[in-house]
Formats: sequence, C-alpha cells, structure tokens
Amino acid sequence: MDHIELSLTQSLDHCIKCNICTSACPVAAVTDAFPGPKYVGPQAQRFRHAAQPVPDESVDYCSGCRVCNQVCPTGVRIAELNARARAQIVAERGMPLRNRIIARSGLVGRLSSGPHAPLVNFTLNFAPARWLIERVMGIHRHAPLPKASTYTFRSWFKRRKPTVNGKRPQVVYFHGCSTNYYEPRVGQAAIAVLEHLGFEVIVPPQRCCGLPLLSNGDFPAAQKQHEYNVTHLLPYARAGIPIVGTSTSCTLTLKEEAPELLGLHGDDIRAVAAGTYDIFEFLRDLYMQGRLRTDFRPIERAIPYHPPCQLRAHRIGRPVLDVLGLVPGLRLQESRAECCGIAGTYGIKREKYQIAMDVGQPLFQFVRASGQDLALCDSETCRWQISHATGVATRHPIEILAEAYGLQP
Amino acid sequence: MYDTIVIGAGLSGMMAAIGRAERGEKVLVLAKGYGATHWSTGCIDLLAGCDDPFHGITQLAAQRPHHPYALAGPTMIEGGIARLRAICEAAGYPLVGNLNRHMLLPTALGALRPTTFAPVTMIAGDARQLRDGRPTLIAGFAELRDFFPPLIAANLRAQGIAATAAQLAMPPVGRQRDFSPATLARLCEQPAFRASLGEQLAALARQGDYARIGLPAILGLKHATEVVRDLQNRAGALVFEIPTLPVSVPGMRLYQILEDEFLRLGGRIQLGGFVQRGESISDTLVAVFSEAAAREQRHAARRWVLATGGILGGGARATPEGYVRETALDLPLQAPAGRAGWFAPRFLNEEGHPIFQSGVRVDERLRPLDAAGRLVYDNVMVVGGALAGFDPIREGCLEGAAIATGWMAGMS
Ligand code: SF4
Ligand code: SF4
Ligand code: SF4
Repeated sequence: MDHIELSLTQSLDHCIKCNICTSACPVAAVTDAFPGPKYVGPQAQRFRHAAQPVPDESVDYCSGCRVCNQVCPTGVRIAELNARARAQIVAERGMPLRNRIIARSGLVGRLSSGPHAPLVNFTLNFAPARWLIERVMGIHRHAPLPKASTYTFRSWFKRRKPTVNGKRPQVVYFHGCSTNYYEPRVGQAAIAVLEHLGFEVIVPPQRCCGLPLLSNGDFPAAQKQHEYNVTHLLPYARAGIPIVGTSTSCTLTLKEEAPELLGLHGDDIRAVAAGTYDIFEFLRDLYMQGRLRTDFRPIERAIPYHPPCQLRAHRIGRPVLDVLGLVPGLRLQESRAECCGIAGTYGIKREKYQIAMDVGQPLFQFVRASGQDLALCDSETCRWQISHATGVATRHPIEILAEAYGLQP
Repeated sequence: MYDTIVIGAGLSGMMAAIGRAERGEKVLVLAKGYGATHWSTGCIDLLAGCDDPFHGITQLAAQRPHHPYALAGPTMIEGGIARLRAICEAAGYPLVGNLNRHMLLPTALGALRPTTFAPVTMIAGDARQLRDGRPTLIAGFAELRDFFPPLIAANLRAQGIAATAAQLAMPPVGRQRDFSPATLARLCEQPAFRASLGEQLAALARQGDYARIGLPAILGLKHATEVVRDLQNRAGALVFEIPTLPVSVPGMRLYQILEDEFLRLGGRIQLGGFVQRGESISDTLVAVFSEAAAREQRHAARRWVLATGGILGGGARATPEGYVRETALDLPLQAPAGRAGWFAPRFLNEEGHPIFQSGVRVDERLRPLDAAGRLVYDNVMVVGGALAGFDPIREGCLEGAAIATGWMAGMS
C-alpha cells in the first residue's frame, strides 16, 4: 500500500470533519454541481470500493487545484483521493472523446504548430468553427485556447548556436508541450538565463508530462508518457545533472503527480523526481548557495503576480517572489486569489467553462484593479485564462528575469 | 533569508509573526494548514471559572509558575490583547470587552458561555442585556446544519431569558445544495440576499416586538460589521451573532485580519508546509525541513517560534506505541509516561485529563527544555497550545494564553 492509499484508508480517521476544506474550495463556492472536498473526498471514500460501481459522479467537478490540501489542518490528501476516484470512473465507463483529445496536448500541439499555424489559429478564432467544436467536442466556444506557434521550441533550439563554450556545469531543460508548440519564447528566455548563469543547457527527447491525461483520468496512457520521460531523463538524474522546467505543472508532474497518482515508486522514477526543479526553485537554490548572478538592470514597475495552484502544490513557497524580489525597482504584487479556474483542461470544457470563469473572478478583479498592462504567472493555462478574462497580457516570470539580465532571447 | 520563521498559523503564531515583523524583521510563517482560529469561536477567552479574568490570571500565575500566563506576565498579556484589538479595530471589526469582566454569550446549544472579548457583531447577545425582560428572537436557516433556533431558544428560556425561535426562508440564490457557514457568509455580502434577509427580520421583529435578534455567525466574511449594522437598520432591532459549529466564520475573519496585517508589514506566509525536522549546530537551530513534492524544502533563519498547537492543534501526536511526539522538531515533551496515564478514570473529570496538559516545557524566556531541565535550543521560542502545563480548553484560556505567549515571542 503506498502512502496515498494509506491516507485513503486512514483519512476516515484523520479527517476531523472541520469543513475548512469545503469553505476554502473555490469550485464548491460557485456551483451546486460540486458538494465540496470533505464530501467527495474523505466522506465519499467510505462508499468507494474497488469491486463496486462508483456511487457518486460529482467528484468529476473537482478541478484538482489542491486548495483543500493546503488548508486542511490534519493533512488529508483530498485532491489525490479525488483524482483516483475520477480515474476509477474513467476505468469503469471510458473517457469521452473530448477529454481524450484535450488530454493529448502533445499530439494537438504537434498537429497545430508549424508553418500552417496561422490557418489553425484562424479556424480557432472563427466563431462558427468554435460553435461546431463546442457541439461536437464539448469544448466551450469561448474557452481560452492557445495560439499555435509558427515554429517549435525544439526546432529553434536545434538551429541556434549556444552562447557559451568550453566546459560548463550542465543542466537539462524540460520544456513541456506549451513551450514547444505555443510559447517558444518562454523556453528561449529560460535558455538565455541559464546560459547567462554559466550553464550548458541540454534538451533531451521528451514527451508531454502526461498531466492532462492524469487530470482527465486516463491513467494507463499517462503512465506510458511518464515512463518515456523517465527513460530519457534518467541518465542525467543519475549523473546529478538537475532537470529544470518552466512549466510548473510539468515539473510537478515529474516530481510527484505521476509517481503518486499512478503508484509508481521504483528507483528510476524516484531519481528523476528528486532531480527535477521548477526553474525558479532552481534559481532560488543557486541564490542561497551564492551562485546566482545579480547583475540586474533596474526595472521600475509594479506587476501583479499569480502563484498558480500547480506551483503551490510543489509546496516550496514563492520562489518567483524570492528571486524577482532581487531585481531593483521591481515590485511584484502577489495575488491571494485561490485559483484562476482553468486548472489545466478543466475550464475549457463546455459544462465547466462558466464554473471556471466564476472561480477566477477574484483573480480577474485583482489583475484589473492593478491597472497594469502585464501580469505574471508560472503556468501556461493560467496565463491564457487570465488574458482571456481580463485582456491583460501575461508572461512567464522567467521572461522578466531575462529582461532584468538584459538578455535578448 | 529570514530573520525569524514562525511555525504555525494560529493565533499565537500570527501574533508572534506580527510582533517580529513590526520590529523590522524579515519573517516567514510556515504552516501545515490553517490553525485553530478556523474552528474556534472568534472570541477571546482569557480564563473560565472566575468573575474577574485579569484578577484570576494574576492569582493563577502566582500559584502555577509554569503556566503560560505566569511565563508571559501581565505586560505581555495586556500588550498582546491591546495590539490585537488595535489591529481588529483598524480593520473595522472591533473586539469589545474588558479585562476585568466576562460576558456571557449564547452558544449554538443555548448555553451561556463566558468570554472576555467578542467581536462587535456578537455583543448584543450578552446575557446581561438578554435578561432585561424584553423579548429576543433566535432565527436561522433550516439549510444550515447544526443550528436549531428552537433548541437555542428553549435553553435560553430555561435560563430566564425571554427567547422565541423562528425559521427564516432562504432567499432565492440559485443554489440549493450545500450551505456551509462560509457559503452563507459570502451570500450575506451580496446586497440582494441581505435585503431579503432584512425584510424577513423586519417582519418578524414587528410581529413579536423583538428588541433583538440572534442569528448564526454567518453575517459576512470581510464586511461583517457593516452587514450587522445594515440588518439592524432594516429590522429595527439589535442583531447579534451566535457562533456555529465549524467552520467558524468569526474565526476565519480573525485569521484574515491578522494575515492582512502581517502581509502589510511585509511578512510571508507558506501554507501546506509541514515541518518535519530541524538541523542544528549544538544548541542553535539553523534550519528546518518542510515536506514538499519529491524532496523536502530547507528553510534557514536566525530565530524560530514554534506555534504548532498541542494535542488538539496537531503540534503533538500520539504514536501507536503510546508515546506523544512533538511533530515539527521532535522536541522533548512533558507528557504522561504511558498510555495508562493519559486519561482520568471519569470522562467528565473535574481536573480534566492529563494528556491535555502535555506539551513542551520551557524556561522563563519560552525556550525549550528537556526532561532534565537543560536548554535544547537557544534560538527557539515555544508559544500557545504547544506549551506544557496547562489545559487550554478546560481552563478557558486558549486564546488568552496564545496571545500572551505569542506576543512575548514577538516582542523579546
Ligand atoms: S479540512 Fe481536512 S480535516 Fe477538515 S473536513 Fe476537510 S479533509 Fe477533513
Ligand atoms: S482540488 Fe480544488 S476543486 Fe478539488 S476539492 Fe480540492 S479545493 Fe476543491
Ligand atoms: S503540463 Fe506540461 S507537458 Fe503536460 S501538457 Fe501541460 S505543458 Fe504539456
């Protein structure tokens, strides 16, 4: 029995029924479709049994934001209980076509990015097409879908000449789907920063981390992706070369989501997990070891920053505030909103779009009220959601750091 | 990176954190989750079983030199409470009361409970007022579980208070399913909901000529004072809140106000960070490690405040072998030797149960001691429910002891 299962069974005892989680859950706050973490988590668990049909489907409305885990005073891992319960539903009933497609962001990205991207983007901006997609696939017609890039990050990386030569400490960069197919500029900024800090950056073959598959309950497919990534990252992890990523959900998946939800605890899986870092976590570690360059140009401005739920799930505090706090003049205003609502692929679904928009309201108000024309967030889907709802441009914090170093990615 | 790291986000931890941040330190609050605020009443209990709480504290401190009140001393008790009240006052949510006098406020069972300071939204329910012979209405929503106006009113009548009960109709809100105290509190901040509630209260007040109306403590999260004032104006009667079963909305407000103040002072909060062990060089604690994805996170600081609570708050855990362990730093605990010593033979024992007195023994500067009375860490202070030698719930001093010792750690 692994420790999630252990906490599954023990949660009946650990949960003191205080309702703190239900009061904090942003989804339960806005919809009747979801009764809240206490009910679908530790409570419903009493009625779930491997050999019996799933008693209650409302758990599918859990967005997986893990606010509940964070506030529970007794450490019940509610979000994990919910994810496993959803996987049981999917295993029993199969997954709708829509979820199967959006869960394969690597595939979707591969098909839409490249020189034909403008055509794809045009179609996705074309109202009748979106209407059709909503009818056929259940993807809400207003859902924030990313713009495909005309080139991939990997093609850029292959073509470029590294700016550093000679023997340097090495670091592996995990770009994830969104950087590769939609926002190569994030990866370009990361490479620029890492090379500026004197690293040689390696970009090994990699697939989607599998998070969308996990959150849509297709565990067997997710396991395949994860095993592929572990195979290709393992040699570096074993050699003590850190694996860093700019997509905080990808790094979380490599570190914990995939191993824990799938119950994979082999040495290889663990080695990769233990060698993976969110990029700002990595930079903060460098700073604490006195190895971070601080030759910053001042950036005189205030920018709202939203720490997304996937970053908070790393349980590492706010590395972006710690590192960007070193840049003279820069004042980050931290959003204290629970969630932007999107939670990966949750908020683009027809039946959940409005819930996600309602969940995000406090954040959208915070961003609008800042009066700034730019907001920062470590997670791509959250950035798209924030921009979609507020019209404010969004960037990954690494892009600001690159700017502070005076780098032109 | 930090001057002080406070472990625990309850009342004692937040008071300590605010104190240190006010002195210009860089402070982090690192906590597993929310603290006891979210399941307490949101009132400040100083001491039960006496008429004059401050006098009672002085006597108790003289008799029990290891009691947290004795360690903190009158200056920290008064100073901490004054600071907390000033913070709440500035946030538009005054805590009303007097160090030398108790109020008696109704509970969700209709019992009268002594407390020393209560939010302004509750004080019209003080028994001294309720006993003035004018009729009182207790009202609530059937949709809110565990709050039964007829039961409350009946128990108040048994104590000589002219109380009647009524059930309110849930205003149309487009939701039917779950109404937790927090959901209702958010609804109360919506003008339409409040107007409908106000209309119903006005009609009831006219019918029964009620002087005051007791409602569950769900009257707003961020703007409770205005919500109550507004309802009073609409109803033409005084309105007071009665604490509900958890989750406690008044407790959430108190936490929120303290968090706002701490962040305003430049502090940082990290929830979901379960401290598992420490790293020390002789008697100096140099770092702690919190549980995190894939590996622990290391936190370094010059000084530390342990505010993780006791057995109830989760700062101490019993092991299956019958030991009690301090969860964050594995500090030596003063606790009954074996399981057999945990409980008194009678459930409702007058002296309480020994296990609830367990905690960390400290010196006069709140620094942890081992069983032989030797100093464990020079730069750690232990505050609130984590301290040994008192039973906060039974003695009715949970908040008072937390504020006094928390403030002491914040100031020294
Ligand atoms: S917060 Fe934790 S202990 Fe409280 S009801 Fe939720 S799961 Fe149970
Ligand atoms: S993970 Fe988020 S949406 Fe799901 S129950 Fe927890 S708080 Fe609610
Ligand atoms: S979490 Fe990362 S790898 Fe996974 S789908 Fe999203 S971008 Fe791709």
